[in-house]
Amino acid sequence: MATQDARGILFTHTQHQQGFRLLELPPDLEALLTSKDAPVLELKSPSSALAQAVVDPSALEYVNLCTPTQTYRIRQVQSSNSLHILRPSPGNISQADIKVVAEEDEDSGALKIPDDAVSSIAKCGSTLELHVPPGGFSAVPFLEKSLQLYDPRSGDDEGDIMMDESSDSPVDKGPAEVRRLRDLVCADIPVCATQCEQGWVEICAFIDGKHELTCWRPSARICLNVWKRMMEGAVLQGIDLEKQFLVGDLWKSVLDDDDTPEPFPRACLEAVVRKLCTADERPALADELKWASFEKVECTRWVGETYLAAMAPTASSAIGRSDFLRAWKDCLPESWRGDAALSKLQDGSYRSPDPTTIFFVEPSQRQQSSKAATAGSAPAAKAKPTRNWHELLKNSKRN
Amino acid sequence: MPSIRLHPTSSSPSKTDTTSYPITNPLPQLLQTPSGLALLELQATINVPSTEHNEYDTTPTPQSPNGASYETPIGKLIFPDYSVLNPDDTKWMKRAYLYVGRYQRMTGEVKKLLKPIALVQKRASSSTEIEDLEVVEIIRYKIFFQESTGTCE
Repeated sequence: MATQDARGILFTHTQHQQGFRLLELPPDLEALLTSKDAPVLELKSPSSALAQAVVDPSALEYVNLCTPTQTYRIRQVQSSNSLHILRPSPGNISQADIKVVAEEDEDSGALKIPDDAVSSIAKCGSTLELHVPPGGFSAVPFLEKSLQLYDPRSGDDEGDIMMDESSDSPVDKGPAEVRRLRDLVCADIPVCATQCEQGWVEICAFIDGKHELTCWRPSARICLNVWKRMMEGAVLQGIDLEKQFLVGDLWKSVLDDDDTPEPFPRACLEAVVRKLCTADERPALADELKWASFEKVECTRWVGETYLAAMAPTASSAIGRSDFLRAWKDCLPESWRGDAALSKLQDGSYRSPDPTTIFFVEPSQRQQSSKAATAGSAPAAKAKPTRNWHELLKNSKRN
Repeated sequence: MPSIRLHPTSSSPSKTDTTSYPITNPLPQLLQTPSGLALLELQATINVPSTEHNEYDTTPTPQSPNGASYETPIGKLIFPDYSVLNPDDTKWMKRAYLYVGRYQRMTGEVKKLLKPIALVQKRASSSTEIEDLEVVEIIRYKIFFQESTGTCE
């Protein structure tokens, strides 16, 4: 076999070292980055307030790498080997130095210097690995801490809301403003845009563009109230919720004929409809929700859990099981009543302190108990948590 | 905390290069990347004399005349079985030598990385307060030298 020129390639060290980070790519991320229209990725950390409010048991400080649809936790892994980044070199080497590596030709006495050179322009002592924890990432705990609870109470049973002054002078802020505000909230949430959107829909978060621009998450009580009003309105107006209906018609159906103020903002109703509508009909958050239809199983489950969350949020407020089942059925359309059964509720969403009572278990509590169960078996091999990205790069530059 | 943007590799050559990129890349074709960057892993540390305290070279030439960064020669890289005439044959990957100085030789090989590695760097063009990052290259092979050091000849 023909061999390379025995003089080899001159290997040098560039004095002015550059700052690099080595990021290990899982196959899907490699595919994304090498695709024709590779998107810009984001490195996100929670705001300091959110980091304190939503404690991650695996890391005090962390940075997540977000593609538009996927989130990865970055973990810095120290290497005992040195990792050099090489580049073909322009060969700025002094003749005095070259003698350290080059031999003299026996005949002519000239130095045998390789024609070409590569130079180490950076040295890295660690790599960044990407991980997705078993439970994945969710924006919900962050949204719950970021958004204001929407739970206005008034004297009457309807749970009407004081929307008094502004109903005469609606200042519609427009979808662009609403979107800007939502993006602002999501910027502080260390998960990808898709997961932010999923979380937003999951908790029925809404921004009331007609009034003071605020991001709200409705309480279970309000969600239940919205559902009940929708049910009543649909029955009165003959809207079949299982078939496609115009969301605008449903909104009109919940309004009273007289001039009484709106029972809740339209955006709140739309958020609940968006959450409950069949997934393949659900438009992106930025798009208007014009048509919708509800899916019986999913809807029934949500109504049951929402009722329980509103009426029996803790063990101390547990309610009778039969009372719960009756009330749940009463919240459903006539033809769905038969579907209300404890087996339809999500695993872990409720607990029974005794055979006759029941109460709701918050999703965050459920995750903790399941995490605690898996934590025991998982190896405790934890790399040093990645610190702030700014600092990471700053440090590497000085080496 | 504002997020930091990580841009995919741009089609234009990296602007972070301060020195002009030589036309020829002397590494075997498999190790050549569009940016010219390659990865070398050493189970050892190279101690390079610093500018402040240079015990080998007393001439104070931190920068070469053309303004490019000064380089210290370390040794030579040799891929003894590689042939430019037959770049598709990968048997050569099994053997690589790194001469450190004139007489120390490390034996190594070229390995395909289990997971490719993105080289991430600050984006030079960003003038804003928050610096954008960029994947300047995706590396799929590394030159790997283990500890075993031998003296040659």
